[in-house]
Amino acid sequence: MEYIDGIIIIVGLYVILATSFNLIIGYGGLVSIAHPVFFALGAYTSAILARNFGLPVPLAMVAGMVVALVASVALVLPTLRVSGDYLLIASIGFQLGVLEIIKNVRFTGGAGGYTNIPPFLIRDFGREAYVALVLAVMVAVILLVRLVARSDYGRAMSAMRDDELAFASLGRNAMWMKLAIFGLGSGLAGLAGALYAHYFRFITPEQFEILQSSAILTMVVVGGMRTTWGPIVGALLLEALPQAITFLNLPPSILGPIQGLLFTGLVLVFMFFRPQGLVPAENVWRGGGGETR
Amino acid sequence: MAAVLEVRGLNKSFDGIVVARDIELSLQPGQVVGLIGPNGAGKTSLFNLISGVVKPDSGTVALDGARIDALKFHERVRAGLSRTWQHIRLFPSLTVLDNLLIGSTDYPGERLVNVLFAGKRVRTHNVLAREKALTILGKIGLSAAAGALVSDLPYGQQKLVGVGRALMRDGKCLLLDEPMAGVEGQSYAAMQRVVREVAAQGVAVCIVEHNVAFIQDLCDEGVFMFSGAILARGPVAELIRNPQLTELYFGH
Repeated sequence: MEYIDGIIIIVGLYVILATSFNLIIGYGGLVSIAHPVFFALGAYTSAILARNFGLPVPLAMVAGMVVALVASVALVLPTLRVSGDYLLIASIGFQLGVLEIIKNVRFTGGAGGYTNIPPFLIRDFGREAYVALVLAVMVAVILLVRLVARSDYGRAMSAMRDDELAFASLGRNAMWMKLAIFGLGSGLAGLAGALYAHYFRFITPEQFEILQSSAILTMVVVGGMRTTWGPIVGALLLEALPQAITFLNLPPSILGPIQGLLFTGLVLVFMFFRPQGLVPAENVWRGGGGETR
Repeated sequence: MAAVLEVRGLNKSFDGIVVARDIELSLQPGQVVGLIGPNGAGKTSLFNLISGVVKPDSGTVALDGARIDALKFHERVRAGLSRTWQHIRLFPSLTVLDNLLIGSTDYPGERLVNVLFAGKRVRTHNVLAREKALTILGKIGLSAAAGALVSDLPYGQQKLVGVGRALMRDGKCLLLDEPMAGVEGQSYAAMQRVVREVAAQGVAVCIVEHNVAFIQDLCDEGVFMFSGAILARGPVAELIRNPQLTELYFGH
């Protein structure tokens, strides 16, 4: 059961990561590859605050989310002033740089990882309680992103993505909107990180490498950008596939490369044959209410 | 009468190519001024400089007596300076009505908190914004197309949507960049009607346009631009009769 619980939690967390990344790259049109590092910031912040400073785990988790959010705003603020293209370049530097710092400072446990992270819920209520918590957060994140996308805010995101200059010509500030989208998406990734840390209780920098970025991107692209179900389907599929591969009893040395090839291959295949992903988005923005649909 | 728009000493050059040379331009409330000149004269560049899309090398822009040249593009729009685009630039993923609603002056429904808890204020506002948008659509004769996707409309109607969207801002000054290019028939008449009505409300309108008949019909005055400089300003009919300007316009 422990194995199954672990898989459910991993899949749930990747649904959160893919859904929040869909908000950033799909709805917001902001191209970044730094999503895993916000996942990492959430995990490390929460773990360190809970273990070293004795903060109650729920508070530490919230702090992890806030740190990821603040860090993302710090990344996006200077880059967006120049141009959207710089975000991609800056995000690569941010992803590699922050992870390098985590690897090289003492209080994060360095490259060896951070151990003995205080558990949450499991001792009192069992593993199933933690599974329920992750699934509840997952559902809440899915609903939140869906609600945002279908609200007036979502309509404005659509307009901004369509034509930023025209958006500005109506007195609208695209900068604030991008900041909010990026901050919210990254904060949710931080929350996923915190949830990861207090279940597995051991985190290492290599879990948050740039390869994770391609995995999350693949989930969104293969599943279907700008849809509610796309990232869910993508996360399920891409987390299930590697699990299935492990049953083939291949030597561990080739498992990693095979997963990498699988992700890249899938993106290429989908880009050519089904660019809209498994769940295609509609070309028209449709709100949740009113007759403007 | 105090000018709505006052442009003074505006200069701009890109790598030695002058697109604006000591531009002085003032627009009175309710005045409709046509900006004419050959391609490359700097008409659209002047719009970009006035609206803040491009920063000038020197010069000032004032709206209703207040300097706006330190403001960013979107802030100038909020101050009351609206503009349209030569290539329309609608939002293709939105319907006609939603294109207009993005131009609302206020949008409480877009605060992220209100996304979760939309109160009565948001709903009331949305109803009002919608009514306003529908009224504007009525004026430009596109009520029936409110729910259509903008990219499905004929070109002339898209141009009208572009103008209608700018009208949502209730600006004091409206810069129209080639509103008539590619527009004919009913859309042509609607465009004329809308410009007249806006001007009658006291909005200063400046139009870049190659359609001389439209300019002559509608504009109180014409401003002739050539090579980044304003060469003449006066009644449109006089500008057209001026042989020197005509030669510059049509080339040798």
